[in-house]
Amino acid sequence: MLSPLAPRSDFPLLAANPGLHYLDSAATSQKPAAVLDAIRGFYETANANPHRGAYALSAKATDLYHDARSTVARFVGVSDSDCVIFTRGTTEAMNLVASSWGRANVGPGDEIVVTALEHHANFVPWQQLALATGSTLRIVELTPQQTIDLDLLRDAVNTRTKLVAITHVSNAVGAITPLQDAVHIVRARSAAVIVVDGAQAVPHLPVHFDTLNIDFYAFSGHKLLGPMGIGALIGRRALLEKMPPYQYGGDMIEWVRDTDCTWNVIPHKFEAGTPNAADAVGLAAAIRYLEALGMANVRAHEVALLERADAAVRALPGVTVYGPPAAQRSGVLSFSLADVHPHDLATILDQHGVCIRAGHHCGQPLMRRLGVSATARASFYVYSDESDVDALVGALTAAQALFASVD
Amino acid sequence: MSETGQSASIGAMYQEALLAHHRAPHNRRELPDATTQASHKNPVCGDEITVMLQVADGVIADAAFSGRGCSIATASASMMTDVLRGRSVAESLVLGEAVDRMLNGASVELPAELTPLRGVAPFAGRHGCARMPWQALRDALG
Repeated sequence: MLSPLAPRSDFPLLAANPGLHYLDSAATSQKPAAVLDAIRGFYETANANPHRGAYALSAKATDLYHDARSTVARFVGVSDSDCVIFTRGTTEAMNLVASSWGRANVGPGDEIVVTALEHHANFVPWQQLALATGSTLRIVELTPQQTIDLDLLRDAVNTRTKLVAITHVSNAVGAITPLQDAVHIVRARSAAVIVVDGAQAVPHLPVHFDTLNIDFYAFSGHKLLGPMGIGALIGRRALLEKMPPYQYGGDMIEWVRDTDCTWNVIPHKFEAGTPNAADAVGLAAAIRYLEALGMANVRAHEVALLERADAAVRALPGVTVYGPPAAQRSGVLSFSLADVHPHDLATILDQHGVCIRAGHHCGQPLMRRLGVSATARASFYVYSDESDVDALVGALTAAQALFASVD
Repeated sequence: MSETGQSASIGAMYQEALLAHHRAPHNRRELPDATTQASHKNPVCGDEITVMLQVADGVIADAAFSGRGCSIATASASMMTDVLRGRSVAESLVLGEAVDRMLNGASVELPAELTPLRGVAPFAGRHGCARMPWQALRDALG
C-alpha cells in the first residue's frame, strides 16, 4: 500500500474532508498548516512595511522577507539570492521578462522560439512580443508522445534567434523536458536568451538553477504547497542589471528627480510597491516543509503513484493517455475516454469525491495538435496515496457505466 | 462528498432522457436553407456549437445544429432545435431567457421537451454547457 508521503493531517482542508480525493495539484496544491501558520504568524508578530520603517518591527518584517528570498535561492540552487525576484507567480515572471528584456532587445528580423507544449503563460507573452516588435515567432512541434522534438528545436534555432522559451515540465501532459539537451542545442546554434517555465518542475523535481546554463527561470509558490499570489523569477545578474524596470513606484527607485529617476539595485528594481512579504514567508515555510520531505522522495512518491494510476487507467476500455511513459512525466495523468466528454467526466468524478481538471489546461496550442478540445487530467502530490488512485479508477468505471447504459 | 455542495444527485442531471439526446441528437445536421446562423464557443472547454435557423415571416421553420460539445451542451442543442420549430422569433428569445432563469434556480414553466434540462440547474459548473446553444440562438436572431 502506497501511503501518502506527507500525512493528510498536516493539511487542514484534507483533514476536514476525509472522503475528498484531490487530484488537481497541478492546478494548485493544498496547503499544510505550517504554511498557514507562517502567514498568520507574520501578520500577528511582524507586520510592518519591509524596507520602510526605522523601527524594530519594520526591521523584523524586512528580515523575514529577506530570509524568504534566501530560502527560495537555496531551494532552487541559486548562489546569488539577489537574482531571485519575487513576483505574483510564473505568469507575472514571464510578462516581466517579455516586457523588460524583450522590448529592449528584440526587434524586426529577430526570431523568438517557443514550443507547442507551452502553457499560455509561456506562449502568449512571446507571441505578443513578436507582434509588438515585428519579430518572428517560431513554434517547435512535438513528438507523437507530446514531448519537445529536439530535432525540430535544432531546426528552429539560428543566429537570428533572440529568445527561446521552453517549459521544464508540461502542465497539460506532465512531460519532463530533457532540458540539458535542449540547452546544448540552443547554445550551440545561437546567442539566444533561454527562458524556462518551472511552474510544474519546482514542486516535483530537484531543481538547481546555477547548473542549468539558462538565463531565466520562473515558478509559482501555490503549486508547491505555498500561498497563491507569490512566486519568483530567477535571472542571471548580468542580464537583470541591464534590464529596465518592469513597473514603477515605491521601493524600486534610488533617486527621483523632477524629470528623471535612477533605479534601485536588483532584486528591488523589479519589485515596485509594497512586497507580498506575508506570502513570501508562507512560501518559505512551504519550501522548508518540502525540504524536510526531501525532493528526491517527492519525486519517487509521485512516480510510484503515477505508474500505478497510469497502468490502471490504461486498462479501462476506450482510454487514450497523453504524454510519454509515466517515468518521464511529473505526477500528471492526462487522458480521454471514448464517448465521455472530459467535462461530463469531471462532474461525475466530483460526485465520487474525486477532483480532476477537465479542460484545455491553458494549453490551447497543444489541444489543437492533439485534435481535442479538452482532456481530463489527474495530478498527484505529496499527500496523494493509493486510495486516491483507487477512487479515480472506480469513479471512471462508474462514469463509463453511466454513459454506456441503455444502448 | 462534493466541494460544490450539490444536493441533487448526479442521476438527476444525467437522466436517461438527457443521455438519449446526447447519444442520438436530434437535428444534428447541416441546414442548407438556413437564413441565419451563429456559433458559440465555450473558452473553458473549447467546445463549439453552431445553430442554424430557417426563419420565414418571423417564424422558425427549421432548426439544426453542428459542432462538438459535452453531453449537456449536445442534449441542450438537441432539445432546443426540437422545440424551436414553429415558434416565432420573439417567443424563441423569451424561451432562451426562461431557460436562463430556470438554470439560476427560478421556478419557470418550460415546454415539456425541455424538462431534462432542469436536472442541470443544481450543477452551477455546467450551466455554461447548457447555455451554449441558447447563446448561439440569441446571436443568430440578434
